[in-house]
Amino acid sequence: MKIERRELIAAGGLAAFAVGFSQTLGRMLSGLVGDAPKAHNIHGRSAEPEFSVDPATGALRPNPNQQVSYTACLGCTTQCGVRVRVDRASGNVIRVAGNPYSPLSTEPHLPMKASVRDSLVALSRFQDKGLAGRSTACGRGNAAMDQMNSPFRVLTPLKRVGPRNGGQWQPISFEQLVRELVEGGDLFGEGHVEGFAALRDLATPIDPDAPELGPKVNQVALLSSVNDGREPFARRFWNQAYGTLNFVGHGSYCGGAYRSGSGALFGDLKKMPHAKPDLANAEFVLFIGTAPGNAGNPFKRTGTLLAKGRSEGRLEYVVIDPVLTNADNRAAGERGRWVPIRPGTDGALVMGMMRWMFENGRVNTAYLGYPNLNAAEAAGEPSFTNASWLVVAEKGHPREGRFLRGSDIGIAVAEEEKHKDADPYLVQGPDGKPMPADVATGPAPLEAAAPVMVGDRKLAVNTAFELLRESALKLGLAEYAGICGVPEAVITGLADEFTRHGRKACAIAHGGMMAGNGFYNAYAVVTLNALIGNLNWKGGFVVNGGGFKDAGAGPRYELETFPGAVKPKGTPLGRNVPYEKSAEFARRKAAGKAYPARDAWFPNAPGLGTEWFPAMLRGYPYGVKALILWSSNPLYGIAGLRPLVEKALADPKKLPLIVSVDPLINESNAFADYIVPDSLMYESWGWSAPWNGVPTKATTARWPVVEPKAAKTSHAPDAPAIGMETLFIALAQAMKLPGFGPAGLADIEGNRLPLERPEDWYLRGGANVAFGGKAPVGDATDEDLALSGVERLRPLLEATLKPDEWRKVAFLYTRGGRYQPAKEAQDETNPEWQTNRFKNALWLWNDNVGGTKNSLTGKRFTGCATWQPPAFADGTPMRDVHKESDWPLLVVSYKSALQNSYSIATRITSLHPDNPVIVHPEDAARLGLATGDLARIQTPGGEATCRVIVHEGVMRGVLAVEHGYGHRELGARAHTLGDARQPERPDLRAGVNLNDLGLADPTRGNQAIWVDAVSGTSVRNGLPAKLMRI
Amino acid sequence: MKDHNPPTAAPATSPSRRAFLRGIPVLTAAAAMAPAPVLAADATHHWAMLVDVRKCIGCQACTVACIQENAVPEGSFRTFVSTYSVKLADAEQPAGTYMLPRLCNHCDQPPCVPVCPVGATFKRADGIVVVDGDRCVGCAYCVQACPYDARFINHDTDKAEKCTFCAHRVDAGLLPACVETCVGGARIFGDLNDPAGELRRRLDAAKAEVKVLKPESGTEPRVFYIGLDERFQGRVEGQGTLWQPRATHG
Repeated sequence: MKIERRELIAAGGLAAFAVGFSQTLGRMLSGLVGDAPKAHNIHGRSAEPEFSVDPATGALRPNPNQQVSYTACLGCTTQCGVRVRVDRASGNVIRVAGNPYSPLSTEPHLPMKASVRDSLVALSRFQDKGLAGRSTACGRGNAAMDQMNSPFRVLTPLKRVGPRNGGQWQPISFEQLVRELVEGGDLFGEGHVEGFAALRDLATPIDPDAPELGPKVNQVALLSSVNDGREPFARRFWNQAYGTLNFVGHGSYCGGAYRSGSGALFGDLKKMPHAKPDLANAEFVLFIGTAPGNAGNPFKRTGTLLAKGRSEGRLEYVVIDPVLTNADNRAAGERGRWVPIRPGTDGALVMGMMRWMFENGRVNTAYLGYPNLNAAEAAGEPSFTNASWLVVAEKGHPREGRFLRGSDIGIAVAEEEKHKDADPYLVQGPDGKPMPADVATGPAPLEAAAPVMVGDRKLAVNTAFELLRESALKLGLAEYAGICGVPEAVITGLADEFTRHGRKACAIAHGGMMAGNGFYNAYAVVTLNALIGNLNWKGGFVVNGGGFKDAGAGPRYELETFPGAVKPKGTPLGRNVPYEKSAEFARRKAAGKAYPARDAWFPNAPGLGTEWFPAMLRGYPYGVKALILWSSNPLYGIAGLRPLVEKALADPKKLPLIVSVDPLINESNAFADYIVPDSLMYESWGWSAPWNGVPTKATTARWPVVEPKAAKTSHAPDAPAIGMETLFIALAQAMKLPGFGPAGLADIEGNRLPLERPEDWYLRGGANVAFGGKAPVGDATDEDLALSGVERLRPLLEATLKPDEWRKVAFLYTRGGRYQPAKEAQDETNPEWQTNRFKNALWLWNDNVGGTKNSLTGKRFTGCATWQPPAFADGTPMRDVHKESDWPLLVVSYKSALQNSYSIATRITSLHPDNPVIVHPEDAARLGLATGDLARIQTPGGEATCRVIVHEGVMRGVLAVEHGYGHRELGARAHTLGDARQPERPDLRAGVNLNDLGLADPTRGNQAIWVDAVSGTSVRNGLPAKLMRI
Repeated sequence: MKDHNPPTAAPATSPSRRAFLRGIPVLTAAAAMAPAPVLAADATHHWAMLVDVRKCIGCQACTVACIQENAVPEGSFRTFVSTYSVKLADAEQPAGTYMLPRLCNHCDQPPCVPVCPVGATFKRADGIVVVDGDRCVGCAYCVQACPYDARFINHDTDKAEKCTFCAHRVDAGLLPACVETCVGGARIFGDLNDPAGELRRRLDAAKAEVKVLKPESGTEPRVFYIGLDERFQGRVEGQGTLWQPRATHG
């Protein structure tokens, strides 16, 4: 089967790839596995089946040449439980499919009591079990393993030769690596570089005039990507043993705006709880800025449930997005629809829907009236909101925008508890006077009748409900429609339908929120759910089941803390704390002008990787002496970062030491001084839990089902492979840090135990998982061990764990994790309620947001969902700066159905080698462009040459760029490692990376990138642009 | 796929239908004859596949699994999901996505068999059309003859190659790789001769909705589809497809 050129003309269409690579790959593989296997006359070079199952009896016969193991994938952040089939002779992975015990791969998943044998038979033709219990791996998941044998893998420690980003490296020994990192020295002939030992200064303040910044150790910072099940180990080293505060992931340049908007609704802007539609039972779902089944997390589970729901006739859904994706399927007809929208205007659409709902009695005011969980539950509601809580509305009052608290009206509250948890929120009582919200037994008024009397002074108050309603009524429907480009009839239609399904409707967002107003757009989308009261209902808005904790304080091992553990303190590099608590604020206030601060602060955001680079390279709040990049690629992933910082990053005077731990060379660690290899895919350990979208508790076990390929730490016969864990252990031992070494950890009785090898940590974490929950798991049988390949681990399990533990931990590995039974998703006593519920208030008004000020202007932020145009940090609308007449188009990024940000050098690339920019036919006609033409795409931040594809699957006026292309590294540039040169693969540079076109913020002196002013998240949707034919 | 000449037996297409079809290769989909339950007295099984297009999410899990299971060379495919952005005429939703999983149709009247000069390609008693690599001379007549463009010459082996329904797995009591890993659950594999089996039950339940590709070519494919025709007809008449408040709501 060949793919015709005309399929290239389709969105998401795939194109045949030049044949050149097939020879490379063929040679590479035959070089690794020896001669090509002899072909069967019918089956050709197809792999031997991993086992056979008698179709009549269900008897299983394993294939002794292959190992089948359950572990975790890392082809995307979903981290599905998968089954990996390994050729025992070569150690190569043949193919990957799903783990039937894992809810991320199977719907419904198999109960854990099923033996491994039964789990394998469940995948076969026997009684059509394999169809009913289908357990899958996606295309990307299957392809991503190609990286294990990639010619671009880093397998030994590398030290830079010549300037940063020069592409020249010297392989060095692990011993030399550890010595140089710890001791420093004149490492590159460029002058002295401080090592980690000298940089670990826990006593001296960074700036004696600004003690709130913390000690100098904070000038060592680690940027990671995602918790792949190994983050607690890395944090144990960097936060607790080494002692730096600065350890942050990729959220602020992933879907952070959505998370922050959700955090506002769920009342926690740091942990940012969120919920997902219960796709297994929902009737109507609005996906706004997210494409279910096209990409996202959990990718497969969402896709499976979406396909099931729409084909069975239960589920209808609408995808509202500037770009058409695989979330649409015309064969499913009107069960699924696509509504194109202008980028960064979702808030207008949603506030329009809310307006219609308020005006047409479609807001569930009965539900909103319950001011606490007890009152709600008594009325049959599994959740509640703060709609009735009173907010200070008095203009100029110091607490304007904050909730009225008990202490404000004279209720006795200890001084140190004022305005904290113990200080009650208030609602209007039956007598018209404020009363604590938590003691109400029934509904409270949603409208504040009169000002509250505080002593003899009147204090204007509003309810959260009133403030949201006022916000929704700010503009008329026609105005909202005009802004977002969605017809008024569609907005009202969506609102109507959304409110016709009781609690079995839901609205959700994700990466499409990454605009210059992303926080408010996201807050608006998720607030829709509160207005129909769908939280915790079956078929509604449901929370994740969570995982079983590995790195906790027991039940078997104390992995949470240790004697001598540091509690890091200070101001985080991303300034996600109140400006008003800084020395700078005090200084400026004393000088008579508290605002503006030198630059933006983000008190309502979590840790911000987006802000790190401008911060560390400009020294605000402070400079950084050493940066560790662990499996992260900020220069590729953060819109606008590369053009802003690439010069400074190449200068060791600005940032003296950059160390990367990564199996590959990417756009960011190409600037590193050292690259340390790490395990990849099925070589790694870890315990991970689903990010969201799985209502039952689930923990996935990751374990090395194949030998890690990286070099060993020494020539000793049992030396482990070099990787994140072995590096950090070696650094800890060299610096004699607590929490590692011969007595690094302890069991729950306090007996000291070694932490000298990765398995010392992960197997004991496994014991915590196995013994956690309501009751410990069962024991793995010898047959389970044999059939799952866990036999390989048996010596380690027996040597590391106690006699009553090892078979239970083995039980987890034989089944690839620990999973609560699928039938426990709903509450046993109340089958319409979810078992795992979010029990705190939903915040229609968030006073952390509404009570804080923009550090550049001193103006208060709005505390509820609202429409605001995309703007720069000081509130200046983007279009005031970059006029439509100059930049008539808007660029958006969209997630690829196939490619992720690091899967470029895999079979995915041959399926889908390029990312032509999608242009609407009307725009294309005006520009004289046709499909296949080359064009120049330009933004105020940069420009690139692209190929265009013209079709109606994009909003007018929008250019859509698929993420995952336009690479400069990961194979796109051949590096020299000692005498060896990597293969030349210029094809891997194909396409455009939208993030290279991101903007600097002119209201921050063009010294920082454009981020959302509240959430600090990077702006990649709605970049002003023009397109020119070339 | 090769060029798809408008088939002579295709029903007349209205202008709006043509507009809707823009961007889609011309293919016809029409009701298939219900396959006979038992085709050969000596055949215990008659393997077939049903693809419920409504469930496909275009993730290419099948494509990649097949490549890895069968060591398919770079640039060739035994199965593949064609994915199209389709302009919708007379509809408010301006465009839609259409996915079409494709593979060898394991025809009961396979045009690839008679053209083989060395008798290398044949239909097994269980319905699976295969190539005997020991006989194949790589002349590619079969590649030309296949109306579904399901075959290619494997340039590593110089033999004709195509989907075998993963016969090596099916013979071992397992499912084809693509079916096993189909995320949307679109692909159903089974035995036409097993009335209690999932495949047969779904085919029987879907009846008139079941279609095959290019029925007019007389190949009697044993890959069936649900969701092929409705999508065409439903939009052709130009009903509003963008979501609107329903008149039926009370």
